[in-house]
Amino acid sequence: MVKHINAALAYKTLNGLICVYKPPRVPVRQVQHTIVTNICRDLNALPDRPQEKRVEIIGATNAPMTVKLVPNYADDPLVCGPRYTHDDFRCSWATHLGLFTSGVLLLGLNEGTRLTYQINVARPTRAYKVHGQLGKATDTYFWNGKTIERSTFNHVTRAKIDRIVAHMQSAHQKTMFELSGLHMDSQTAYDLASQGVIRPANSKLPIIYGLKCVHFEPPNFTLEVQAVNEYEKYLWTLIHDLGVQLKTSAYCTGLQCIRQGKFTLDHALLRKHWQLDHLIDNMDSCRQLIEENEQLLRPKSAHLSV
Amino acid sequence: MNLNLLHKSFFIVKRICNVRHLYLTKSYLNFAVVNLNEKKENDALEYTSEDLSTITPYFPESFNLAAYVNSSETLQNLVHLNVNLSKIEKKPSIAEKILKLDFEKDIKRGLIFIKDFVNADDIGNFLTKNPLILCEDVEHLEVRVNYLKSKQFKQHEISRIITNNPFWLMFSTIRIDRRLGFYQEKFELSGNEVRLLATKQPRLITYNLHHIQTNSFVIKEEMGFEDDEIKQLILDKPRLWMMNQKTLLERFNYIHNVIKIPHKTILQFPHILLCRNFKVKQRHTFLEKLGRAQYNPTIENFVPINALVELTDIEFCKKYAKCHVDDFNMFLKTM
Repeated sequence: MVKHINAALAYKTLNGLICVYKPPRVPVRQVQHTIVTNICRDLNALPDRPQEKRVEIIGATNAPMTVKLVPNYADDPLVCGPRYTHDDFRCSWATHLGLFTSGVLLLGLNEGTRLTYQINVARPTRAYKVHGQLGKATDTYFWNGKTIERSTFNHVTRAKIDRIVAHMQSAHQKTMFELSGLHMDSQTAYDLASQGVIRPANSKLPIIYGLKCVHFEPPNFTLEVQAVNEYEKYLWTLIHDLGVQLKTSAYCTGLQCIRQGKFTLDHALLRKHWQLDHLIDNMDSCRQLIEENEQLLRPKSAHLSV
Repeated sequence: MNLNLLHKSFFIVKRICNVRHLYLTKSYLNFAVVNLNEKKENDALEYTSEDLSTITPYFPESFNLAAYVNSSETLQNLVHLNVNLSKIEKKPSIAEKILKLDFEKDIKRGLIFIKDFVNADDIGNFLTKNPLILCEDVEHLEVRVNYLKSKQFKQHEISRIITNNPFWLMFSTIRIDRRLGFYQEKFELSGNEVRLLATKQPRLITYNLHHIQTNSFVIKEEMGFEDDEIKQLILDKPRLWMMNQKTLLERFNYIHNVIKIPHKTILQFPHILLCRNFKVKQRHTFLEKLGRAQYNPTIENFVPINALVELTDIEFCKKYAKCHVDDFNMFLKTM
């Protein structure tokens, strides 16, 4: 870890992408605020530039005047405020994570805000772990809602859940090609499909590429979802639909983003490490990752690469 | 006034002060006061022998104190005392009052008085928090300190009270007396205990009493502590009464209803209520996962409840979770 000796130098390095672990029930805006506050605190604690001097010409104008170099009080941090404040940082997210979602969150600092835009437009897939529970349905499809239905789930087995999940995945892939605007029976559509899955043209419609049950222990189960353009509520409804198709009811108990493009949980920085040194290290590793994977920012074809 | 003469003075000033954009109408206001001895009517560009150092360019009203600090001795002295002017200027009404003060005349006496009670290192912080104390009458401050002395507060206790609560001296003796009475009555404290409470957390005495009442309700009715337990609690951790009641209840709810810690144990380590909930939650779920979440001292593998809040993560993992801190970090990424 590099120890920074000068606040100005450290500030200059703070241009880029950071990958943090967003805890559940903390809004993204609060994450941004905490990170910028911590950076400001750490920068202000670093050795500062010397205080400015000012030239003072005093004395009567009709006699020889004296020129003095005095310290400029207006430049004292006690007078003009701390050197680095929130206004010095721009911070934006690549994709928004809902309040109850935890996991990998990409944030751009200063010049890095451009990178977040490019990543957002390139639409990399995101992987989620969606935890659900059988036997109960709520009005919000999440644990915080009111219970509206209870049902038995003894008939649900691993094989049944796998079949439904596979069916849901194939249905999603079919709609994906329908949305491409081509006639489903044409040669062009066949050529397109034979090369692999395609990424969506706009950011409006959620598309699921992969759906898999990774943990099943009734009543609890976990799905792993690979998707683009999804949002919190959409994944909740996915669990609800699964419950209905299994002839019982289900609701979502937790949501965790485990991957965004090439950024995985290993890169993500925990809340206790949101400090200047760790953030700069993290920014370096993110920069390396982006340099190695050019297609993250500028995808060359409509086909899904990550 | 002779207009020609005025024109001339205007041009001289323009040359000397290098002021580019002065309007004639404005300059009339600024320079009408200049006493001109010279009677010669001459070219405006000619050198003059009079003293013009009293003339300054037009100075508009400023939003911050930094604009005045180079020309104001008072503000400079305050900076030398480590007062954070950038925080004072956040409240324009207070900044205006501070600007009007003169160091020798208004501030010095109050400062010498405060110096007896506040450490030299803390005086900057003290004045940053409560700059208006400089506008207060020193006689009033003396009366308020004498009140504390009459209530048998010792000198070091008084200085602790004043240092830790810069606003204490702004309250009249009647109000302070009423408030001390309120605490004595509400929590059935003896004289010594009131003094202990006031010294331990002086900010509690001047805190919003409605807030105190609400928190008392939360602690007594919603959390279910007995009266004597409440007394023990307020003497141990008075800051609980200054917390947000919603947060307080949420923390208690987690510790009492989820981790199942009885009231008696919480009373032994009330510090756990002051710690943010997510930290307790992280460590507890980790211990639970390892099968080490055992907080009963009569059974083996006992983990004290304060392990959930004290120590750093590395020490916690080594001492109680008996694993490497990386495992803990990995676990945190599954939450």
